[in-house]
Amino acid sequence: MPPVLSKPTEQPMETTVNTTAEGRPDFISIRDFSFFYGKKQALFDISLDIPERQVTAFIGPSGCGKSTLLRNLNRMNDLIDGIRHSGDIVVNGRSIYDPHIEVISLRKRVGMVFQKSNPFPKSIYENVVYPLRVSGQNKKSVLDETVERSLQGAALWDEVKDRLHESGLSLSGGQMQRLCIARAIANRPEILLMDEPCSALDPIATVKVEELIRELKQEFTIVIVTHNMQQATRCSDRTAFFYLGKLVEFDETPKIFSNPAQKQTEDYITGRFG
Amino acid sequence: MPNTKKTLPGHATEQNRFETSKLTLLVDRFMTVFIKFGGALVITSVLGIFVFIVLQIWPLFAPPSVTPLKSIPLPDTKYALLGVDEWGAKPFLVEPDGSLLVVDYETGETQDQSLNLGITGQVTAAFLNKREQKIILGTSNGQFVFVSPNHTSRESGGRQIIDVNPTAETPSSIGDPGMPITDIAYGDSGSSKLIVALQSDGETNRVTASLFKRKRSLMGKNKEEAAGTHDLTPMIPGRPEKILVPVTGDSVVVISESGKVSYLVLADGKFELRQSFTPFGDLANSHINVANFIFGDVSIAFASDSGENRIFSLFYPEGGKERLFGITHEFPNLGASPVLLVSTLRNKAFLLGGGKELSLRYSTTESIRWQSRVPYPVSNAVISGKYQRLAVLDSSNTLHFFQIDDPHPDSGWKALFGKVWYEGAPGPKWDWQSTGGSDDFEPKYSLVPLIFGTLKGTLYAMLFAVPIALLAALYTSQFLDPRFRSTVKPTMEIMASLPSVVLGFLAAIYIAPLIERQVPSLLLVVVGVPIVAAFSGFFWSHLPIQIRKFIRPGWEWIVFLPLLFISAGILWYLGPAFESVAFVVTDPATGQKTADFRAWWPAVTGASYDQRNSLVVGFMMGFAVIPIIFTITEDALSNVPKPLITASMACGASRWQTALRVVMPTASAGIFSALMIGLGRAVGETMIVVMATGNTPIMEWNIFSGMRTLSANIAVELPEAPHHATLYRTLFLGALVLFLLTFAINTVAEVLRQHLREKFKTT
Ligand SMILES: Nc1ncnc2c1ncn2[C@@H]1O[C@H](COP(=O)(O)OP(=O)(O)O)[C@@H](O)[C@H]1O
Ligand SMILES: [Mg+2]
Repeated sequence: MPPVLSKPTEQPMETTVNTTAEGRPDFISIRDFSFFYGKKQALFDISLDIPERQVTAFIGPSGCGKSTLLRNLNRMNDLIDGIRHSGDIVVNGRSIYDPHIEVISLRKRVGMVFQKSNPFPKSIYENVVYPLRVSGQNKKSVLDETVERSLQGAALWDEVKDRLHESGLSLSGGQMQRLCIARAIANRPEILLMDEPCSALDPIATVKVEELIRELKQEFTIVIVTHNMQQATRCSDRTAFFYLGKLVEFDETPKIFSNPAQKQTEDYITGRFG
Repeated sequence: MPNTKKTLPGHATEQNRFETSKLTLLVDRFMTVFIKFGGALVITSVLGIFVFIVLQIWPLFAPPSVTPLKSIPLPDTKYALLGVDEWGAKPFLVEPDGSLLVVDYETGETQDQSLNLGITGQVTAAFLNKREQKIILGTSNGQFVFVSPNHTSRESGGRQIIDVNPTAETPSSIGDPGMPITDIAYGDSGSSKLIVALQSDGETNRVTASLFKRKRSLMGKNKEEAAGTHDLTPMIPGRPEKILVPVTGDSVVVISESGKVSYLVLADGKFELRQSFTPFGDLANSHINVANFIFGDVSIAFASDSGENRIFSLFYPEGGKERLFGITHEFPNLGASPVLLVSTLRNKAFLLGGGKELSLRYSTTESIRWQSRVPYPVSNAVISGKYQRLAVLDSSNTLHFFQIDDPHPDSGWKALFGKVWYEGAPGPKWDWQSTGGSDDFEPKYSLVPLIFGTLKGTLYAMLFAVPIALLAALYTSQFLDPRFRSTVKPTMEIMASLPSVVLGFLAAIYIAPLIERQVPSLLLVVVGVPIVAAFSGFFWSHLPIQIRKFIRPGWEWIVFLPLLFISAGILWYLGPAFESVAFVVTDPATGQKTADFRAWWPAVTGASYDQRNSLVVGFMMGFAVIPIIFTITEDALSNVPKPLITASMACGASRWQTALRVVMPTASAGIFSALMIGLGRAVGETMIVVMATGNTPIMEWNIFSGMRTLSANIAVELPEAPHHATLYRTLFLGALVLFLLTFAINTVAEVLRQHLREKFKTT
């Protein structure tokens, strides 16, 4: 059982909004957001409020723009040529497109886990402390503490504590993905983005990661993209259903799966298409 | 519907539809054999080249063979001299009455050629001037006479016939009339002749030097006239025993009974005692048994009674103004009391003999080429001019012939790789100098300066190329907009295919003179531009994001490139001003101050300044190496999996942090290969070095002096190298060393690369 993680004492973007136990209901606020890859529009006028310290799942058929929206939350799409957007995304009261903030510091606040695990060809230890190192943190005691906390947070500590200096690539697929999760939470971000984190994992590893997600939501605001509907029901609090770049429906997960408001949603969750 | 059997085109029936066609099988089988054969052929030819090179080199290290031929008994008398022609076919001996006994090696016959010398006494001393092949005889009543054996060679029936037609000049007297001459020698420089005779009647001893000047008359006939006689006796300590006169006839070396050697030099028509030394002063018995000049007449080999053997050479001692003798080589004891020490006419070898021991030694490399115990006590010997035949006279007057097969006596490990004390040098050193001005020039074949030069050239080239190539590759692959990358790379690849002779030509004709004039400018640019770059980068990153956002990532060079060019231009034109401030030398003679880097550098560092120097080579070779390193490194960096870069960016790393911490380590194996391939290119690079340096085989790291690399050496020397001569084989050895060098580099590189690849493998 990973211990309950302590709240980060200092937040880079302290706002006046006080955080209740429930968390802010509009911690991430996406407003009329449209997105273009060159001429191709991938997202159409999305408006969506993601509550703090809850798991929000994005579901929808392939190519409907789930990953695109997710990658916009930490502006990873900036690396792509010819992109364009309209509308705004506000995190914790401040626009991520604010010209005064560096995209680098935004990414430090937002951890990300990818569909395919991508540990660096470095030791397990170095993989976990990488976000700290690039922030200029090289104090051994801090790094050691972070490694243990993050690996425990990622439910990997017991498995690797004796071989922290072996290559991260020597782990199994599920372990590698949990290593990536440990890396993503090492710098204590506020938000954790996960893009189909279990799609390349076997069922047992998937169960472990899902348990982990339920633990982590006590600490982080989690947005998870999944095409596995069981997974969404098992570990998310709220679910957003996208279709062809549009947000079709966004509600409490039990409501979406038991009593969807839209016909399209119902068709999708009952497997009539997708 | 009737079941119609469909047959595929080219197949007769349904049955053989699944059969593979005969042709496919045939081609398959043929290609298998062909590829195997081709592979074997390639391996065989590479091995063949290797074997060929090794075969070419082997004789350099092979021990010589000295094989006995025949023995010819001679009439029993006391011979004063043993000489031989160039080919060793007709040795001759001087009999007491002055007649020549000519021995025919082929037939074994001896022929007494008496000359009407007109001398009254017996021949008591004789000396053969090897360069002139002329004998001087001294008699018991103080006379001397010149005798020429006059060997001539002619062809008869496809065989070489050597004829001897001795002639004699008229005898004259020297020194004390009637006093027996016990030793005599002469030297002839062409314009003057020096005859030195040692006379002894048992009690008194006299050393007389007679000088003759030769004037060339209009008719082309030489006229000799006496130019003074000098009594050298007062200058010699103790009883003189032996006289040596170098072929140049400008000095005399007299050996006294006590083992003391006096070096008398003829200067302005007068003799002066320049040096007096005792070669075996440290031994209980310092007496010198035998001594002789080594070919070139700059070194003397001495042997003591006990068989010790040392070489003394003339050289300018450190800080000295006059050439003096100093010990340069020492050989192991002969193991017998020496009675003969004969040198050759071709190289620095000499034969030392005594008792029943014969030892063929090579003075420069201090090596014993051959040593043997013969079944007879030896008394005299001679080596043919071609260093191919040896004739040894034993104490019972039998002449024994030997075949010498020693094509590379001057070679061997020591000569090629060790420090060698060459004649005239003040100490042992590594030296390469294959050809010289005079006949008795001794080639120096140390490969060490060439290996050094190779490393030096490589070092400076890599010093210039590696930072530029690596940073350029990093920038291109990680920071530059992909649109530009697709033009930058092919451009660099075109640069890589520039023939190096063009680069060398450019270096020699344009860059070298340009750099020579503008070293301070270059220094400013080299130091200044990176500083400007660093500063502008720093400044840029601290600009508010509102300004920075006008330049898209990957387009920054649009701002920086002009900035760097302008600053480079400004710095270049500031060079002369910088020179006039920083590089001022004061002429010690006139007190005049001049601002000239070319004068400043030698004045301050003591190292020389050459126009074609390592800086030019490093620069130009860098241009040959940069594209190679760049392209391979760029490939390696671009092949780093995208997810790793994305992961790093998602962790909040900047592009530079990502490049340095993730991309570079992951691509390290590839980068390392690039560096090694660049290194290999620099090590083997020939034309740039040949053209852009003075090809001076010096051993100093000074950046403003040249070098000679192994490859350039081969290119420069091979046209001049006679087939199968030592130089020729040494060049092959240079090639092998070069090969081994690159082989070693590649092996180490491959091992390290595999290690890196294992360490940073991404899947
Ligand atoms: N880098 C890109 N360049 C251009 N189009 C892209 C890029 N990434 C995704 N798209 C397009 O955007 C749409 C949404 O893709 P994505 O967000 O990956 O969908 P999902 O994750 O829901 O399967 C798709 O039509 C896809 O083809
Ligand atoms: Mg996706």
